[in-house]
Amino acid sequence: MAQVEQFQYDNAIVRKFAYATMVFGAVGILVGLLAALQLVFPALNFGTAETTFGRIRPLHTNAAIFAFVGNGIFMGVYYSLQRLLKTNMYSKFLNEFNFWGWQAIILAAAITLPLGITSSHEYAELEWPIDLAIAAVWVAFGVNMFGTILKRRENHLYVAIWFYIATWVTITVLHIGNNLEIPVSMWKSYPVFAGVQDALIQWWYGHNAVAFFLTTPYLGLMYYFLPKAANRPVYSYKLSIIHFWALIFIYIWAGPHHLLYTSLPDWAQSLGTVFSIMLIAPSWGGMLNGLLTLRGAWDRVRQDPILKFMVVAVTAYGMATFEGPMLSIKSVNAISHFTDWTIGHVHIGTLGWNGFMTFGVLYWLIPKMFQTKLYSQKLANAHFWIGTLGIMFYSIPLYWAGWTQSLMWKQFTPDGFLQYGNFLETVTQIIPMYALRAVGGTLYVVGYFVMLYNLVKTIKAGSFQAYEPAQAPARVATAGAHKGEHWHRWIERRPIQLLIGSTIAILIGGMVELFPMIMIGDQIPKIESVKPYTALELQGRDLYIREGCISCHTQMVRPFRSETERYGEYSKSGEFIYDRPFLWGSKRTGPDLHRLGNKYPDSWHYNHMLDPTSMSPGSIMPVYPWLIEDDLDNSLLPVKIAVLRTLGTPYEEGYEEAAIADAEKQAAEVTARLRKDGIEDENLEQKEIIALIAYLQRLGTDIKPVPQAGN
Amino acid sequence: MFKYILEGAGNINWMAIASLLTFMAVFIISAAMAFRSQPAFIEKMANLPLDDSTPSFNAENDQHEK
Repeated sequence: MAQVEQFQYDNAIVRKFAYATMVFGAVGILVGLLAALQLVFPALNFGTAETTFGRIRPLHTNAAIFAFVGNGIFMGVYYSLQRLLKTNMYSKFLNEFNFWGWQAIILAAAITLPLGITSSHEYAELEWPIDLAIAAVWVAFGVNMFGTILKRRENHLYVAIWFYIATWVTITVLHIGNNLEIPVSMWKSYPVFAGVQDALIQWWYGHNAVAFFLTTPYLGLMYYFLPKAANRPVYSYKLSIIHFWALIFIYIWAGPHHLLYTSLPDWAQSLGTVFSIMLIAPSWGGMLNGLLTLRGAWDRVRQDPILKFMVVAVTAYGMATFEGPMLSIKSVNAISHFTDWTIGHVHIGTLGWNGFMTFGVLYWLIPKMFQTKLYSQKLANAHFWIGTLGIMFYSIPLYWAGWTQSLMWKQFTPDGFLQYGNFLETVTQIIPMYALRAVGGTLYVVGYFVMLYNLVKTIKAGSFQAYEPAQAPARVATAGAHKGEHWHRWIERRPIQLLIGSTIAILIGGMVELFPMIMIGDQIPKIESVKPYTALELQGRDLYIREGCISCHTQMVRPFRSETERYGEYSKSGEFIYDRPFLWGSKRTGPDLHRLGNKYPDSWHYNHMLDPTSMSPGSIMPVYPWLIEDDLDNSLLPVKIAVLRTLGTPYEEGYEEAAIADAEKQAAEVTARLRKDGIEDENLEQKEIIALIAYLQRLGTDIKPVPQAGN
Repeated sequence: MFKYILEGAGNINWMAIASLLTFMAVFIISAAMAFRSQPAFIEKMANLPLDDSTPSFNAENDQHEK
């Protein structure tokens, strides 16, 4: 028998992450509530750039995913890892670096996103210096985790740790893959890939960010904290082994289901669909494993709010992972995609699975670390019911809204015309649903603040134990496999081999998806009439990115009659070869814009951006007066042209020197057309709106030659 | 478009087939091994989260057992 060693668990770092989780959860859902209310009351955009929906929405998603859930992951991992391995963390310095580095990244995101500094890749909006910081902190977390694993006293790695390892390695691969970009300046870059390639890599990332940031680490937390809260082992450890390998292998394949009916080939779409449907099996295996852990203890679930939160969290996981595969079926996706159904679906996951699991862990962890009882079980129960109602009021109206709007988009009259030819009709129809969603969000926020009050009172009543004494026998390393020992027991003792195994599992799927992209080289089919953006259009495009127009507008006309009838010719992959980044979008709160060019005169756009309701009465689009007030900054234009040429955009040699003059020339032309329509602002040709109009008028016109707007 | 790319990329059908076979192999092997594990080992692993090796935890557990 090995000698028993005394050591201490470090609760100080866990407390820090717990506090950060509590604070950023509040920030994330409050910003989300503001965004929800802005869709009902556009005046809540406040007419300022920083508070407008297009900038608030990425702030909300980043705060919820990376600040709230991110800190929640670190809180749970730092607590459970030490105890499962019977050791303290590898490095106190890395603990602190991980914590303060992550909070600094959140601060940087909170500043840059409202300023419109964004790469526009969904859930990867942060610009390149912050991407580098994320990489540094993530590597520090990995070193700390593996250092802790290597100095462990427990020979075998519990399944929760496998999920942590898979999370770490996959997020590393995804983060690097989706952020390959060339800087233009400190706060502006262009991605290496363009158009279809950029889209595929983005959704390979986007889907797997959900998988490996919102799911696998939380499954690790479920496998640790649910048995702790229920005080009983997981229902089936065997099932957890199968759950792990099947889940991490399949998840990485499912990304193409975000790009159904786009330019992706049928085989790739089918592959994404098949693997998405296969995902039900491991996901539900995990869900059942969690729920059945409570077998024989359901009487306690009635009493214990912690278990209630965890049961609803696991159930929400089951619902979301059933719904996801269903949404991946092409015929369902044809209805659901670009609608609020997707928003409802993801919020079952974030509010239910991530939110409620985090609440359960916080209610369990805070009293434990502060050596006291929860201040009020009644308040925790109240939180549970308010929060559950909040989720229902959030999601059900959005399901309704999604169905309603999509069916309206597709409805034809008996004569063969679109019944709701004006897109706005389909928006005003669902505003009551948006209002109900905001009610749901408000309930969730109220419940959250009840929890904060309860936890703060608990913290005040308790006494924090920063370093918890523990004892365990020293680990006796076993070299080589025992006779008769099977491979899995062998691999559980070897974290590096487990890391390699996980990496291979996730890379196979990723490679098959991305291989055609990597091999594409110069073989992109070109459409002769598709030309690079002019200097002014490029500037306008960057304004479109800055304002987050992608939050509400797609640029992808799918090959449905209902779409070609409404928007025009369906989108061709060859039209996007100069699009860095691609701007296909994922949601249509407003109409698709890919064929917007030359549809309206320039003055329509001017008036519409100044006050959308002047052109479209009843519109919920925000106002953009600053585009009309602010001068366009052309100082970076030569560098932008040079970088894009380096990446393969065929600008002529020396065009960077002429770019500013060229932009000014085109601005003068746009201004002349505006003046002709009676717009008399001073120095109009220098304003940002001119560049944006130039870009909007270019959209989709390369294969749609029509007379000049205004003629 | 992709037909064109895939033709240019060479014969890569084997990748999809090999991946599916690899998945089936991983799944079948992990399932078979999981169900062939020794019960004592599985029980030890399942109970790992319940053992904090802390005096306070042991005291709580003692109370619970009473």
